[in-house]
Parts: sequence; C-alpha cells; structure tokens
Amino acid sequence: MVSPIYLIVITLGAAFLLGLLSERRTELAHFITVLALAAGGLVSFGWLWIMAAEGASAVEIYTAGTKPPFAINLRVGLPEAALLLLIYLTGLMSAIHMKDMLLRKGRRAMAVLLIAIMALAGIIMTRDIFNIFVFFELVAISTGGMVLLSDDPRALSAGIKYLIIAQVISILLLVGIIFTYQATGSLNIDFMKTPELALGGGGTLAFFLLLVPLLVELKPFPANGWALDIYQSAHPAFSAILSAATGSAALFAVDKIMDIGGASWGPVLTGVGLLSFVVSNILALVQKNDRRLLGYSSVAQTGLILAVVGQRELLGESYLFIAGGLLIGHAVAKAGLFYLSDLVKGRMLTNWADLRRNPLLVFAFATFIAMLSGLPPFPGFYAKWELVHALMASGKTGLVVLILFGAILEAGYLFRWFGYLMKRPQSNTPGTLPLRGVLVTMAAALAGWLAAYIWGELSGYDNLLSQTALLFALGFLLIDWFPAKLKNTIAIAGMLAFFWQSYTGYDPIQMIFGIIILVGGAVILLASYHERGQRIGFYPSALLMFAGLAMLIVAEQSFQFFAAWEVLTLGSYFLILRGKNAEPHALSYILFSLAGAFAIIAGFALAAQGQAGFKITALADVAADLAPWVFILLAIGFMTKTAVIGLHIWLPGAHAEAETDVSPMVSGILLKAGLFGIIVLLSNMGSPELYGVKLTYVMLWIGALTALMGNLMAAFQEDAKRLLAYSSIGQMGYAIFGLALMNHLGWLMALMFVINHYIYKSMLFLSVGGVAKRTGTKLMYKMGGLITLMPLSFFVVLIGIIAVSGVPPLSGFGGRWMFYNAILDSENRLPMIIIFISGPIAFLYLFRLIHAIFLGQLKDEHRKLKEPSFWIMVPQVIYVVLLLAFAVLPGMALQKVDTFLNGMFPEGGLNWDGLLITSDYGYWSPVWIMVVTGGIFAAVFMLLLAINRKAQKVKQFNIVYSAERPYRPETTHFAWNFFAPYRKAIWFLLLPIATRFWGGITEALHATAGFMRRFYTGDAQHYVFHLLGFVVGLYLILLGVQ
Amino acid sequence: MEFDWIKIPYALLTLFIVLNYGLLMTAIIQKMGARAGRRYGIRFYQNYIDLIKNYSMRSKITHGYMFYLGPVFRLTGGIGLLLFVPTIYGSEMWSNFSFSGDLILALYFVFFGTLGMALGAGESGHPFAALGVSRGLSQVTAAELPFAIAVFTVALQYQTLNFNEIVAAQQGGFLNWTLFTNPFAVAAAMIAFLGMMMRSPFDVVVAPQEIPIGPPTEYHSAYLALMQTNRNIFPIAKIVVYMNLFFGGAGSWPEFMIKAFLLYLVSALVGVVFPRFRVEQSIRFFLIWGVPVAIIGLLWV
Repeated sequence: MVSPIYLIVITLGAAFLLGLLSERRTELAHFITVLALAAGGLVSFGWLWIMAAEGASAVEIYTAGTKPPFAINLRVGLPEAALLLLIYLTGLMSAIHMKDMLLRKGRRAMAVLLIAIMALAGIIMTRDIFNIFVFFELVAISTGGMVLLSDDPRALSAGIKYLIIAQVISILLLVGIIFTYQATGSLNIDFMKTPELALGGGGTLAFFLLLVPLLVELKPFPANGWALDIYQSAHPAFSAILSAATGSAALFAVDKIMDIGGASWGPVLTGVGLLSFVVSNILALVQKNDRRLLGYSSVAQTGLILAVVGQRELLGESYLFIAGGLLIGHAVAKAGLFYLSDLVKGRMLTNWADLRRNPLLVFAFATFIAMLSGLPPFPGFYAKWELVHALMASGKTGLVVLILFGAILEAGYLFRWFGYLMKRPQSNTPGTLPLRGVLVTMAAALAGWLAAYIWGELSGYDNLLSQTALLFALGFLLIDWFPAKLKNTIAIAGMLAFFWQSYTGYDPIQMIFGIIILVGGAVILLASYHERGQRIGFYPSALLMFAGLAMLIVAEQSFQFFAAWEVLTLGSYFLILRGKNAEPHALSYILFSLAGAFAIIAGFALAAQGQAGFKITALADVAADLAPWVFILLAIGFMTKTAVIGLHIWLPGAHAEAETDVSPMVSGILLKAGLFGIIVLLSNMGSPELYGVKLTYVMLWIGALTALMGNLMAAFQEDAKRLLAYSSIGQMGYAIFGLALMNHLGWLMALMFVINHYIYKSMLFLSVGGVAKRTGTKLMYKMGGLITLMPLSFFVVLIGIIAVSGVPPLSGFGGRWMFYNAILDSENRLPMIIIFISGPIAFLYLFRLIHAIFLGQLKDEHRKLKEPSFWIMVPQVIYVVLLLAFAVLPGMALQKVDTFLNGMFPEGGLNWDGLLITSDYGYWSPVWIMVVTGGIFAAVFMLLLAINRKAQKVKQFNIVYSAERPYRPETTHFAWNFFAPYRKAIWFLLLPIATRFWGGITEALHATAGFMRRFYTGDAQHYVFHLLGFVVGLYLILLGVQ
Repeated sequence: MEFDWIKIPYALLTLFIVLNYGLLMTAIIQKMGARAGRRYGIRFYQNYIDLIKNYSMRSKITHGYMFYLGPVFRLTGGIGLLLFVPTIYGSEMWSNFSFSGDLILALYFVFFGTLGMALGAGESGHPFAALGVSRGLSQVTAAELPFAIAVFTVALQYQTLNFNEIVAAQQGGFLNWTLFTNPFAVAAAMIAFLGMMMRSPFDVVVAPQEIPIGPPTEYHSAYLALMQTNRNIFPIAKIVVYMNLFFGGAGSWPEFMIKAFLLYLVSALVGVVFPRFRVEQSIRFFLIWGVPVAIIGLLWV
C-alpha cells in the first residue's frame, strides 16, 4: 500500500504543479486538481480497506526517519483512514462541483483548494501539536483565500473577519502550545500525557489554552459569528468542505489532544458542545437564508459530536461507532445540502421549491435531512440509539434531554424546509439544473446510503438495509418511473405475499394487526387504482410505512421495534405531505411523532440499562424503581401516535389534508401502531405504580378525556374529513380506555375496536374523500342532497355511521356491549362517567356527517355529479360486506383472541355458545338481533308499501314552509354550525387549549431565536469580543466549577 | 338455540295491548293537561281517529328512499325496543325477544329509530326538519347522560345486565325497588326521563304548539301515521325499561298499566307546570342537575 505520506506529497505536489502551468490552461489545471484529489481519495480508501476489512493495525510514518519525540510522526489508523477518505472525497466532489468557478478564478484558486485539503489531511495524520498548529495556519490561509474568491459581495467582509479571528485563534493556540510544552517537555501528543494537565491540575491553564483555540475552530456558540458569515457568503461547494472536512478535522484534533488532557476535560467539551447544539438549533429556527441555516445546522451538529467526544471514556468501545456515525451523517448530508444549495437560484428557503422538478434531487434532499435527523436506516440513527442507551445507563438523563430537545428543534426546521420544497410555488423562470451539480449531489446521497449499509453491518443488530420488507419498499424508488397502476399491482401482490409468508408466525393479537396492516393495506390500495400517471413518490412512501408497520408487530428486540417505529413514521410523513394543503400538518405530524419517538428511545434506554439486544419481553423484568418511568416514557411515545388529548393537535390536519386514499391508510391502519405499542407495553409491564398511583389509572383518565374531547370536537367541524379525523381521536381514546382497564373484556373490546375502526374509518374516509373529489370541497355545508346522485356512497356512509355509533344490529354494538361488561369488572368509576358523556356525542357528529353531505338540499352546481370513481368504491363495498359479516359473526375474529387473552387475564372471558355470547353479567346474540330487527323492519316496511305504494316522487326543493317557497337550495340547506345550541351550552370545552399551548411554545422558541440573532451583528470587532468573551467566560466557569 | 314460534303471536299481542293502551293513555293524559289549562281537551278516542285518518289519506308524496324508510326505521325502533325488553316479569312468553340481548341492547336500540327517522326527515330537504333534528340530538344526547350513568349504576348494584335478574333483585316489597335502594340513581334517571319524553319544558325540539318543526315537518298521510303509531309505543317501551330498572318491574298487565300510567304522568305533570327551555338551557340543565345526581348515585353503590 502507498505510504500515507504520499497523501500530502500528491496534494502538495499537484498544487505546486499548478503553479508551473500557463494561466490559460485552466481545464488542465482543473483536471490535475481533480486527479490529485481522486488519487488522495484512492489512497485513503486503500488504507481504510486494509484497516477495516483486513484488520491491519495503525501505521506510523517517521518523517525524519527518527522515532518520536525526536521527529514528527504521522499516524494512520482506522479513524484516520476514514476521515482522510471523507476529506478527500469532499474535496474531490467540491472541486468537481465548483468547476465553473475554479475555471473562472484560474489555477491559483485550485492550488488554494489543494492546500486546504492537504492541510486538513495533515491535521488528521500528525501526532505533533506544533505540526497541528502549522496545518491549522495553512487551513486558515487557504480558507480565507477560498472565501475571498467567492462571487458573493459579502464574501469580502466575511473573509477579512475570518482572517482576523484566525489570527486570534493562532495566537491563543501558540501560547497554549508553549505552555503545554513547558509543562510536559514534549510536543508529541503521545509523550505529553501528564496528570498535571488534567482539569484542576497545575497545568490547567496551559491545557485550556491549547484546547480552547481548537474548540473555537469548531465554531461553538457564541464565538461563531464569523463562521456563519462564511457559510452564508462562500461558494457552497467550499462551504461543504468547511462544514464536512474542516469540521471533521478540527473535531479529530480535539479528540487527539484529549489524550493529553485526559478524561477530566470531557465535561468541558460536552458542555460547550451541547450549548452550541441547542442554541444553534434554536437560532436556526428563524433563518430564512438557506446557507446561513445550513451554517447553524453545521455548528449544531459539530457541537453534538463534540459533546460525544467529551463522553468518550463513558462510551468506551462504541465511541468510534457513535461519533463516527454522527460525523459521517453530518458530513455527507451537509456537503450534499450545500451542493444542492448551488443548484437553487434564490437564497430563500422557499426558493428550494424549484428542486421539485427533479425527483432525484427530492430523493437526495430527503436522504440528507433523514441523515441529519438521525432517522433510519442512516448511521446517525444507530449512533443516536447507542448514545442514548449509554447515557441513560449511566444516569446522564439531563444530557439525553438536551440532546433530544436539540434534535427535535433540528428536525423542526429541516422538515419545515422539506415542506417548502414539496409544497411552495415554484419560480416562474426555472433554469435548467446543471448535470454536474445533480451528479455530485446524487453521489453524496448514494454515499449516505452506503454509509447506512456499513453502519447497519457494524451495529451488531440486524442490518435494516437487509430487511425484506424495507428493501421491498425501497425497491419502489428504482421503479418509480413505472405507471402507477403497475406499481399498485406490485405493491398489493407484495403485501399479500409478505402476509402469506409470515402469518404462520403470528399470535392472535399479532394476527389481528397483521391482517389489518398487510391485507387491509392491500384493500385500501385497491382505491389507488383510480390514480393515473406515475404518481411519483407515493409508493416508496406508502410501502415504507407498511414495511415499518409489518416490522413493528414482529419486533422482538427494542431496537427492531424502535427502528420499525421510525420507519413507519418517516414513510407516513412523506405520505401525508403529498396532500394538497398538507404542508403545516405534515410538519406537526412529524414533529410530534419524532418527539414521541424520543420518549420511546429514552424509555427503552432506561429499561435496558446498557444491556445490548434488549428484548421487549424483558420490560417485565425492569427494576421496580425504574419501571414507572420506563412506563411513562413509552406510554407518552405510543400515545403521541394515537393522538391522546393534549398531544392530538397534529392529527386532524394530517388526516384531513391527506390524499383520498392516504387518509384511510393513516387513519385506519397507522393509528393502530400506537395501540399496538400500548398493548406491548401493558402486556409486558402491567401497571406500575408511581407515588402510589397506578399508571394505568392515569391512562384510563387520559383515554376517557380523549374520547370526550375527540367526539366533542368532531361535532363542531365543518370539514368532513376533519370531522372523521377528530372522530378517530375519540375512538382511539376508547381503545386506550379499554386497554387501561386491564381486564379481559377491556382488552377484547380494544381489539374489537382495532378491527372495527379499521373497517369503518377506512370506509368513511374513502367514501367522504371520493365525494369530496367530485364536489371539489370538503366543507359539508357546501354539499347536500347528494343521496340521489351517489346512492352507493350514501349507503356506505350510512352503514359506516351505524357501525361507529354502536347502534344495533351492526358491529359497533358489539364493541359497546363488551365495553359495558368490561367496566362492570373495573373498580374505577369516575373515568367511566367521562366515557358515558362522550358516547352519545358520537351521534351528533355522525348524523351531521351524513345529513350535511347526502341529505338536505342539492346545490345547483352539483346536479350533474356522479358516484366517485369505480376503484374508490371497490374497497368500500368490500368493507360493507366485512362489516355486515363481522356484525353477525364477531366470533370469527374474536373467539381466538378471547381464548388467547385467557393467558393474560384468566378471569372474565366470554362464553361462545353457538349464536349466543355470554359474559359474567349479560348476554348478546348478534344473529338474533339481526333477525329480529330485520323481521320487524320488513314487516313495517311491507305495511307502508301496502298503504303507500302510489306515493308520488318529488324533488327535495319541492317543499313549503312558513307559507312561502324557499328561495335557493343554498339558503335552504341547514348544515352550517349545525349544533349551534350545543356550542352555546358547552363552549368552554371547545377552547383550543392544546393548540394554544403548543403554539405558544413554538412562538416562544421563535421569539427567543429572533432575539438572540441580534447577537450576531456582523461586526468583526464584536466577533473578536465574542471570542475573547467565550474564552474568558469558559475559563471563569471552569475555575468556578473547581 | 331453538326458537319458540309461539313467541311471535305473543309478541304481536304485546304490541296490540301496548298500542291500544298507549293510544288511550296519551289521550287521557293530554286531556288532563288540557283540564289543568282550563280547556276541555280532546276526546279519549281522538288518537284512534287521527291514526285512521292519516292511514287512509290519499295524497302522498315521497322525497326519496331514505325519506320513505324514515318512518319505517322509527317504528321498527319503537317495536324493537318493546320486544327486546321483557314486558311482564316472570313470564317467558311476555318476555318476547329479550333473549337476543340484555340491557345494553335496549340502551342502544333506542337510537335505532331516532337515527333512521332523522335521516328520513333529512332527505325531505326541509330546513325545519333538520333544525328539529339538530335541537333534538343536542338535547337527547345531554338527557341520555344521567340515564346512562344511572343504568350503569343499576347494573353495578345488581352485578348483572340481565333485565330479569335486575327485576328479580327488586322483588319482595316496594322497598326493594331501586327507587328506594338507590334514590339518587333513580332521581337522575327521572330527570333524563323528562328530557326523553319531549314534553315541556323540553319540547322546543318539536315545538308542537306553533310552527311545525322537527322531523315530522314534511311527513304526512301513512308516514305520519306510522310515526304516530310509534309515538304511542315508543314512550311505553321506554317506560318498560324504566319500570324494570327502577320500579320493580311489572308482574302482571294491570300492574304494568298502573305503573306506566303513573310514570307517564310524571312527565305530563312537569310539563303542565313548567315553561319551555331553550335547547342550550336544557343541555345545561341536564349537565348541572342530572349528571351530578347520577354521579352521587354511582358512588353510592
């Protein structure tokens, strides 16, 4: 293998070679630059391969032929090789990306670029601190040069500011080196380790002065105004180097010198890092300029990694895996985003909508933000998982809270940005996207996927990228150019095949969920046949969600469970975002979901206590003092998904604004993920107590209040799909209530709800969605009288609302019957009252739904409408049949589950005696109810027919009131504000308290950011002052802490 | 399960008795109300005349299928409720079809007819019908509350959802009636009862005295006749539920008739004395007076 010293030789040599070329041979110069960087990349890759795959040990290069400390030595081990590869590849891609600029600026610019890369490689390899200083100086000069070469007029001032700051940093570093040399008598890192330099030792100041300039190189808050100005004004491809390569090198330098100072300095790094991470993410919230936002995000990510470096003693063996995962995620994604920013003409975040023209770039952007947010399958996901586990196991809850808080902020602005990209108007004069830029960006995205695969292999868990379900979903990315109908067929076939292959392994509870997810999902997909064209992006998203769900129900380890959870969240987010007006709602969905996921990861980590491969069933063995907290964290996570009261504000918009066939998926199926989580939680942990309060009792209240508020809010919606969405909230409240009862029938009822809710809510969403597609509005009062034009839709909704309301003889009644039996078994009476209150309210919204749409007056503009398209009707008809079948023979689905539940709750099961179902308290015969009701109905109907057979058919508008003819259908259709008296009576229950609360938090964060950004005045003197203030302040804090 | 075909004639007989009893009783109670207002009132057979007249009217129109089926749903709801609940305690035959389901069935079947009729009325397109439904649903859902809690209280008290067992537990003297064993639950249920009977002060839903409003607005001839038939069956079916749950049930037809009359009289009496509430007032009334009493009853058990 080529000696690593050639990395420096090649790069530096190429830079000198450029000087020999004629000024005009710019193409050749660029070729040489690219070639040198590629060669460097190749050498680095070679070493990485040798180290990683063949297990070679680190190599030492003695520059003067003498062993240290008498000469400078370079070292390349596994981390060095990986970082070198990262740096050279970033340099290479940036050089290709900014070719036009480099050609324009000539060979000098290219030489400066090469010097920068060479210097960064030097920082990585050298073991000598003075050598580090020299390389940093080179980086500073070349960076200043590259910034000044930018076309942006602001680059001049940014470059000057940078040079000023760089000088201050250099001086500090030099002083630090002098002091530490004085203290240790060596300049070689491996020979400088002495207890004196530990925090609190005699050499504290010496090491502090060595450390702090390197920290400042990482652009920590508040000493980072200069860096943000650079990010904003430099050429984005160079910003990519600054963020990905320079940042990585500086981090590694800090990591190296930590060998000198020892672990006692760890908390300093963690403190500085986390402060940067959290504050920068807050500040990024109000940024509108894309590059400045990326700058803040870079600062934040670097801060997070710095915090991890500070914890390296604690993390032990997994340190490299964690820090590396975060670093690679940050570097690749940030470089990619900077490349993308060059393809966007305007500098506002909303200008990124232009990228939408190229689906590849949308894919790349999604890849990058998923990497940055630590979502599966990317390295950051594994790293986050390990990090949180390690920190929780050692009781560092505060750190976890801060990290997760920062992470949710970051996800907030990243996903908001993605929303802009997908939903904001495109500019009127879209230029062509340069092919080179697209290719470089795609290369970065692919590198991200490659890293994802590698981290999956290294993780010690099942590699997510080798899971059949996930691969099947991702496979749709490759065939996304197929026509939608073909993809739909493949999707349906795939889901059914997957079910066929895996159903034998399911227990009855898993079976219910498995059927709903895979078979039920396939049934809903039948409706998707109505879409024409390619429907780009739909299938990967939908299948990602289904894959996550399918993986969730069979997960045995907490890791698998959590990974599946994140996958389904991400898939459903993309799916929801497809809706026309879904942008803000999809954002609030993903934020609540991610926050919930963070609660889940914290809960699992707390439960695992550092144990690798923690099994979900081991939740049962969690120590008694931890159990309630684990329970609370997991429950919050799961209940965010089912949208319990207070955490529900994302649901109505997300479900209502989704596409016609997406709403049933996310309502009928996705919500069940939360319920499944609660089932897993309760079945393993039972009901822990906290301060003498049973936590399931609290859940009982939450379920009851959710049922009440969901139903109440539903009654006052004007938008039909929102009405259904609120109704889902209420229904999930019922299910949670049933589970929290912790008795046999409560669970059976909840599982019956799972089935029922899937059927009727999917059916209603499809039906209402289909009608809304025809009428062009979701507002119910704008419809009316559609029964004559869409009798089938009416019938479907009629069956649906009868089932939802629980009126016999349909299946909803079975749910109510079990509910009453279940609560008779329970001691907790007060929450029942709330449930009682919410029950009848369901009638309000259900009647309103069917009345306002199908009954009343038909509007003139709707007189020529027809039934929704055939394919939207197909699943609805299937659901009607299912609902009727389930109403008559609930035992089909429930009898096995009932038996299965005997394992958990031996008492209080049902007896299935032929047609009669009996409990300890009462009895119920679905068939007889159907027969008797049907018989009476038929008899009365015959009677009426006999008397009234000659009735004359007249139109709706043929009515008279108050002795006058009505004026117009619009003024005659009584539908708007339908329950006005109810609103008058209970208005105080309808105040949007939760919305205001979360809105207030968002406002407060934005206001804080808006206030804090004033701190960055753009004035170089202020920046120097910030820097000195940071140094002095940090030192004072250290003294104070000691 | 073996089905006893003889149950069908018994069911029809039950229906016949209840219908005739309802026609006469409502007329008499209406007459009593009129007398309280110093009017003469209708003749006791007036209901028969109205019914026959409406059944035989020749002019009839329909606004569509749902409109047509609305009254059918309504009457099915009334008859179904009556037949799903054991009418006479201790008699297999007069228990009709109560083998199909228990108390919960009765509780939810109440809505079957209401919902169907509301849908039918909705298709008429008449805004007053929809207005009446809006008011009615708002009020009934509030009125249901104390009742639902009271029902649950009773079930909890007797640890069963089976009507026969609930009545059985109240046998052996009137002091064993729920009325005396849990007066709060019964008080709450009676408050709800007032709301369900659609009489003053809770009659703004149908506003019988002035403009025709509520579901029946567009209904006429045989449709209206079906609804009138129901109006004489359904309240009594509800009273049967009340009787069974709170007042010891009825061991024989005479006992049944006396209890039904007295219970019906309660709502008539209140109606004669009190003026009308607006809907939001009645909702608040049930929430403020009915629900707390019901909760006390629930905690009492």
